[in-house]
Amino acid sequence: MGSLYNDHPTWLHGLSAGLKLLVLALLGAGVFATQDLTVLFASAGACVLTFASLGRATKPTQPLLIGLLITSVLIGLFHVYMQQPWLGVVSVLRLLCTTLMGLALTLTTRYTDLLAVLEWLLSPLRFFGMHPERLSLQVALMLRFTEHFFVVWRRLDEAHRLRTGKAGGFKILAPLTIHMLVAARRVADTLHVRFQR
Amino acid sequence: MNTSSLSIALVSLFAALIAVLGLIPKIDLPLGVPITMQTLGVMLAGCLLGPKRALQALALFLAAVAIGLPLLSGGRGGIGMFFAPTSGYLIGWPVGAFVVGWIMHTLPSATPRAAAISAFMASVIGGLLVVHVFGVIGLVHIANLPWEKAIMGTLVFVPGDLIKCALCATVVHTVARGLPDWRFGG
Repeated sequence: MGSLYNDHPTWLHGLSAGLKLLVLALLGAGVFATQDLTVLFASAGACVLTFASLGRATKPTQPLLIGLLITSVLIGLFHVYMQQPWLGVVSVLRLLCTTLMGLALTLTTRYTDLLAVLEWLLSPLRFFGMHPERLSLQVALMLRFTEHFFVVWRRLDEAHRLRTGKAGGFKILAPLTIHMLVAARRVADTLHVRFQR
Repeated sequence: MNTSSLSIALVSLFAALIAVLGLIPKIDLPLGVPITMQTLGVMLAGCLLGPKRALQALALFLAAVAIGLPLLSGGRGGIGMFFAPTSGYLIGWPVGAFVVGWIMHTLPSATPRAAAISAFMASVIGGLLVVHVFGVIGLVHIANLPWEKAIMGTLVFVPGDLIKCALCATVVHTVARGLPDWRFGG
């Protein structure tokens, strides 16, 4: 399964994942802490310019941008209807800032780099007996089995269609779940043999 | 079998199952809130894995979404999803799964019928009530909706979610018959 990362080179690709996450976290906290329209308009302008500067790399995000536009219009219209247009503008500007920067981060940062930052952030959990380094293994297992279960789902659906002439729909959810639980036991055995834990 | 290996496998594979549930097409309602079968995955995680593993499975799933994997219904992903008006629902998923698991753990599940009834009750409280409480808080704080409007907005999803609770109970019933040695609620 591919991520939303786009390898078309942009200036943001050169920055470290940790720095981009830090900027996003500060921006997110900042726009939610203020209601000053000047600050929010300035932040939104900067975010739009930053996003636009990525050029062709933003092309795959068009469906997400359309969703953002529709959501923004609906929120704006709702607040106009509630006779609070100022609140609508604040909400839409906040949404615009955080979503555009979130998309920019996702487009320009490999998920393995973000995973490394996430593991680093979770490293203090070692003191509580947890294992942040397992995160990479678990994400890899999850991705491998997402495709596998989707194939199983389609096979079950085809088998149901052959038997009944109708699509399986939710009737095949229970067999799929049982398949998943049995597969988990097999994978656990394999992990135990491989890592002896 | 080692419980640590089993935990890793169950958490990862259940997160994968939730991702597969997102491949079923979503229905969008006003305010951009989608009806998604992934909330059924939240209920199932709690019922089948127990509180701790269910929480871990949902946390893993959301971590994968946050790092940009398009695992949410409609192929959405990325950290921006956690700033959207619906992010309250997303944050409510791990908490809801934990509550479902905890309730399932305390209720009887010795027979398939008892397990299904317990699963329905646990799903209604954890998968429906808790998730919607978080969703409403998100709508109020991010979309700046008044409390009563946010509550009215979220009520639209309750009939659909009650159907998901019934579906969850049916799946648990089938699993109880198909895998008699399975320990519901962890």
